[in-house]
Amino acid sequence: MGLMGNLVGAELRKTTTTGLWWGLLIPTAVLALGWGLATGLLGQFFVDFASSGDVDEVSDFLGVTPDQWKVSLFGMARAINISTIFPMIFGAMAISGEISRRTITTTFLTAPSRMHALLAKMLVYVLWGAIYGLAIMLFLGIGVVITSDSGQLPDAGGWAMLTLVCVLSSILMTMFGVGVGALVPNVAGAIVLLLIYFVVIENVVHGVLAYLQVPAVIGFLPNGSINGLTGSVAVDLFLSSAGVVPTEIEDVLRAIAGAAGAQDWWLSGIVFLGWAGVVFAGGWAVTQSKDIT
Amino acid sequence: MHDGSGLIAVQNLTKQFGPVTAVQNLSFTVSPGSVTGFLGPNGAGKTTTLRMLLGLVKPTGGTATINGRPFHQLGQPGRVVGAVLEAQGFHPARSARNHLRVYASAIGVPDAQADQVLGLVGLGSAADRKVGGFSLGMKQRLALATALLGDPQVLVLDEPANGLDPEGIAWLRTFLQSYARMGRTVLISSHLLAEVEQTVDQVVIISRGQTMFYGPLDQLRQSQQRRVLVQPSDINALANALRAAGVQMIEQLPDGRLAVSGVDSRQVADLALQAGVSIYGIQEEQIDLERLFFQLTSGQYAGYAPAQAPFKQQGGWA
Repeated sequence: MGLMGNLVGAELRKTTTTGLWWGLLIPTAVLALGWGLATGLLGQFFVDFASSGDVDEVSDFLGVTPDQWKVSLFGMARAINISTIFPMIFGAMAISGEISRRTITTTFLTAPSRMHALLAKMLVYVLWGAIYGLAIMLFLGIGVVITSDSGQLPDAGGWAMLTLVCVLSSILMTMFGVGVGALVPNVAGAIVLLLIYFVVIENVVHGVLAYLQVPAVIGFLPNGSINGLTGSVAVDLFLSSAGVVPTEIEDVLRAIAGAAGAQDWWLSGIVFLGWAGVVFAGGWAVTQSKDIT
Repeated sequence: MHDGSGLIAVQNLTKQFGPVTAVQNLSFTVSPGSVTGFLGPNGAGKTTTLRMLLGLVKPTGGTATINGRPFHQLGQPGRVVGAVLEAQGFHPARSARNHLRVYASAIGVPDAQADQVLGLVGLGSAADRKVGGFSLGMKQRLALATALLGDPQVLVLDEPANGLDPEGIAWLRTFLQSYARMGRTVLISSHLLAEVEQTVDQVVIISRGQTMFYGPLDQLRQSQQRRVLVQPSDINALANALRAAGVQMIEQLPDGRLAVSGVDSRQVADLALQAGVSIYGIQEEQIDLERLFFQLTSGQYAGYAPAQAPFKQQGGWA
């Protein structure tokens, strides 16, 4: 094993020798399962309502009967967005936790450089992001399958695509958390900042941008772009099984999927990767020059 | 790469924290094969100096090298230098063995090394206990075990006796001396000379961020003049006899004794006999390094005696 391999091994051991990884994985799984179950139930309710006759016009638009609408996709996209808050918190504690507990001293004393130590940490948290992403998809899938009719579920290709963006989304959110944790070297501070930003601030900004009729900007903001990664895939999958859909309806569908104003899923992913990179670079710069006293 | 000399070299090292000068133009070297004490009162800049040496604090000026290289150029620092620092943390939920395995991996030594150093510091039976339940002394031992993981050539310890019981301090003393005798470099800081007096061969004494003395402890001892304290039947008669014999440094102590410098007790007793003065008590004063240490480092944060300033007294033990 080379120098970097040694450090990655050390960082991996740091995460597996305390209970934090499963302490955060449990609420993540519960939340994903709950959203999955609720998605199926709400979808069923909606389909029953749409099939009741009064809204036939909509089904004419979509070109398929309501019982074939893959409505579960929207709930699943939303579930991924919400559940990946936990891996983001896990990531946020990576560096801020070490600084708070002063274990960062020993970490820096045993690494060739601070950059080596931070890179090793980032690699390990990418792995954890993937593990969280797979867990989210697993429990979300179980929940959705239990409460949904088969007509509302995606096909095999759809499942694969959702799994891919779920894992990607989880990795990216974890990376973003690691960066913020380096930038704000205080566990509570980093977590509160992240939650307030993702849950409150950006949603308010989205509302303002929509009101100003420049929704396209949303897709370039951190939360807007990460939601776009999953939301755009959900909308694409939904539309691929529907007929010709007018633009106004498509916009409504995007909003339901949480991807209002979002770019294509891959572009959204790249935009968010950029944000994660900017935050990590800032955190790295702060950590690099920091006096560890 | 580093030169493997085991030499610590601090040259014109300066650190400014905002308006506060923590370390000012500090220079000294530490050689392998001996234990060097790094002494100074609290706040003298010891910790900051050690942290600059270990690459944790960036110097404002000057250099600090180990084996001829700054810390971040050592390649695998954990195999060159081990450090026990104040405020070095542990994750409370991690067991002692797991803590060591984390850093064994980082340094690139086998896991067996973790158990070996645990045994070495006497924590073998506590290996699977969580560090959160450790006493201060146990944490100090674990910190030393961590420092020893990479079998380093250079050992740097900041106030390692903190939290150790007398037995632990005695053990640490023996351990560090034998470590140095293996041809390695040991630098140990303390704010109490007495605490490390029996451990160290060399001393670097700093005060207000500057070097006050730097050299062998024996040299420091010799620089202190010896005094003879004598209680004669007739003070004036003895003082006159001493002056007649060419002894100039005679001082009368408040307790009625004479303190005579530059002679030994035999000379004083012989002169007293010739002068027909009885001697009721005579002793050679012990070499008081601690007093010399105070003289070298006095002034910084000096407290007042309670009687002089009863409301200002703050750790006024100097």
